Amino acid sequence: MKNKEILLGVLAGLIVLALVYLLVSLAIIIVPPQEDNRWLASWFLETAYNSERKELWSASPEVVTSILWDYRGLDTVYETSVFFFAIIGGLMLVRSVKIDPSKLGIRGMSVISKTVTKIVLVSIPVVAASVALHGHLTPGGGFQGGSIFAVASLLAIVALGVGFLYRRGWSKVRLLGFRTMGLIIISIVIMAVFIAGLTIGATGYIVQNQWKPWAPIGYGYLINLGLLGDVLYSGSLIFLNIAEFLAVSAGLSLAFIIMALPREELIKGGDLE
Amino acid sequence: MIDFSAIIWGYIYVVTIGIIAMTIYGMATRPNIVKKLILLSILSDTGNLIAVMLGVHSGVIKPPVFPGISFTNHEEVGSDVLKEFSKSAVDPIPQVLVVTAIVIGLAVLVFLGYVSLLLYQKYGTLDVRLLEKKIKGEAK
Repeated sequence: MKNKEILLGVLAGLIVLALVYLLVSLAIIIVPPQEDNRWLASWFLETAYNSERKELWSASPEVVTSILWDYRGLDTVYETSVFFFAIIGGLMLVRSVKIDPSKLGIRGMSVISKTVTKIVLVSIPVVAASVALHGHLTPGGGFQGGSIFAVASLLAIVALGVGFLYRRGWSKVRLLGFRTMGLIIISIVIMAVFIAGLTIGATGYIVQNQWKPWAPIGYGYLINLGLLGDVLYSGSLIFLNIAEFLAVSAGLSLAFIIMALPREELIKGGDLE
Repeated sequence: MIDFSAIIWGYIYVVTIGIIAMTIYGMATRPNIVKKLILLSILSDTGNLIAVMLGVHSGVIKPPVFPGISFTNHEEVGSDVLKEFSKSAVDPIPQVLVVTAIVIGLAVLVFLGYVSLLLYQKYGTLDVRLLEKKIKGEAK
């Protein structure tokens, strides 16, 4: 047993040494850091909000969201589907679980933690929604907002009990519905320009955001809201961020709620008998 | 004159790469599945940390977001201003990779959590040595 562990340790060391050799020899790790950005980074930083090059821009000052949902949008759509299938796979394991509200715990923790949690439970979703809605203007976006929101539901499960969330209407069907709605909005938004291009006979791409000289359909980036004047919404980015926020927050909350169910329900739901 | 920045950066890289080596070793040798999951999440977080550190260059003082733009303040910005901005901003590409990697890592962790939860409910243990015996039917 001892020899085997030493062998595994040496093996882990060799794997890491090979990794370090690759990273250093390809000049990916530079110590100390280089003077300037790599040219690809500079290109994205100079183009994402450059109104002099409107054929290449994404109309958003947030370069990370621009790359995530515009320049590299199709990749993110596939990553969203990986997320979707991971949650679906987890739920499939307990597929026949039925939630009986009378058996769910409502005792939770002590009065002090309950009171503090109720205060925090108001503020976390507000921060999450703000992070998701400002995703095209400030650091953040749908993924981050959804993850923050999932923290709120996790906190509620631990401090107030699963029954608290369930009695407020957070049922399995409704959360699944919210998540599916987010995914449907994403697919509509990414396909809209392509289908509009097909119908009028112009070029249109999947996950296209702004117009191009050779593909004249786009989402635009300013909308006039009366009193507020022109409001910057950066084309498809804000819709995709909101949809991703819905999908991530509902999916993770559902996974946490099912995971916190009582033992007998899980055994029944997973067909473990 | 000693270059302190090289020493500090070298130290940070050595520590993070050492953490990677330790987590791989731990995942191979620890028998408890929950400990394996904890080590897996530490491994992915360390990988994300290295990816974000690769984007830093010596003149960084800003995040990759052009400052001062809001819903109602949307002035047009030209190439000259953005060239100045790109000299002081961090590389956005590793951050993009890390954003999706974190959420997908969380989803995969939730999936593995389900698997280990059900394993525990069915067999009453998360020790892989005992699990092997119990699945083969050699031990109760």
